[in-house]
Amino acid sequence: MTKRLLINLVVSMVLALGTTSIAQEATPVAAETESRNEFRSLDEDVQDLKKQVLDLNRDLFLLEEELLFPANSQVAFFISLDVGEYFDLDSINLKIDGKEVANYLYTEREVGALARGGVHRVHMANLKTGDHELIAVFTGKGPHTRDYRRGATVSFNKGIGAKYMELEITDRVKKQQPEFEIKEWE
Amino acid sequence: MKMKNFLVGLAFSVFAASSLASSGLTGRPAPDFALKSTSGDNLRLSEHRGDVVMVNFWATWCGPCRQEMPLLDELYSRYQRVGFSLLGVNIDDNSSKAMNMISELGVSFPVLFDNRKEVSKLYNVDAMPVTVIIDREGTVRYVHQGYKPGYEEMYLDQIRSLLRE
Repeated sequence: MTKRLLINLVVSMVLALGTTSIAQEATPVAAETESRNEFRSLDEDVQDLKKQVLDLNRDLFLLEEELLFPANSQVAFFISLDVGEYFDLDSINLKIDGKEVANYLYTEREVGALARGGVHRVHMANLKTGDHELIAVFTGKGPHTRDYRRGATVSFNKGIGAKYMELEITDRVKKQQPEFEIKEWE
Repeated sequence: MKMKNFLVGLAFSVFAASSLASSGLTGRPAPDFALKSTSGDNLRLSEHRGDVVMVNFWATWCGPCRQEMPLLDELYSRYQRVGFSLLGVNIDDNSSKAMNMISELGVSFPVLFDNRKEVSKLYNVDAMPVTVIIDREGTVRYVHQGYKPGYEEMYLDQIRSLLRE
């Protein structure tokens, strides 16, 4: 009986020692896994935070635009270029009701973008309802690379709601000259 | 005595305020601009994003500018191929004087003409010359007011550190 008890005691001690050593080996592994998980969750938190900051920045930008240029008084002017073989755009100057509001110089890259179908918002403003006058002066190189300066004038009525106007430069093949049109977007 | 101290204090505060004017841009996105260059092309600052850019404001009536420009030209020749751009911005009312000075000094970096002083107002330029160094992200990192012999060493260190970033 005593012998059996002793044997049982020794076996249980051996087993206990074995599990302790396994547990000790497992502890560093568990600790490493835990720290990796912690790091991963921290990284995810940082990424989430970055995304939130970017979203907030975008929302603030849109809000700022809405506050500065509310839809009911907003007027926007866009430049587009159709082909552009007879006119190499250099700059554009805009005057509204006799007051200069925009003077934009175009680089080669920007002109290339316009020629490929891009549209550039050259100016945005707040205007009261009623009649206004727009004078657009286009400067560049015309046919035979001569210096070319051409103006276009249009009177428009600003009603309730946003207004968008397009200043289009097109090639008039028959006359071998560029044409400058100002159109209102519906 | 009191009046003298007051005047000294006033002069100091004006100087401090003016030196802070452009340096207030440090750490902020560089205001974008486009100007006509000596070649006749329009150059836009934001199209140099990705390069370390130095913008140097100068005028023909500015003596230190004459000293500085050949040294800047050396920097430009040396580091242009590794992503450094240098834009000289002349603020004279008359561009022809600037053209004469450029050919006299033999500088090769692009020079832009700010006759309307719009860009110099954007950058709060109230001393001559003013040198602004912009990193690859388009942020103003250093602003130097005036020029003294030895400043070019400082520019070199700053440009090299930004190129390494």
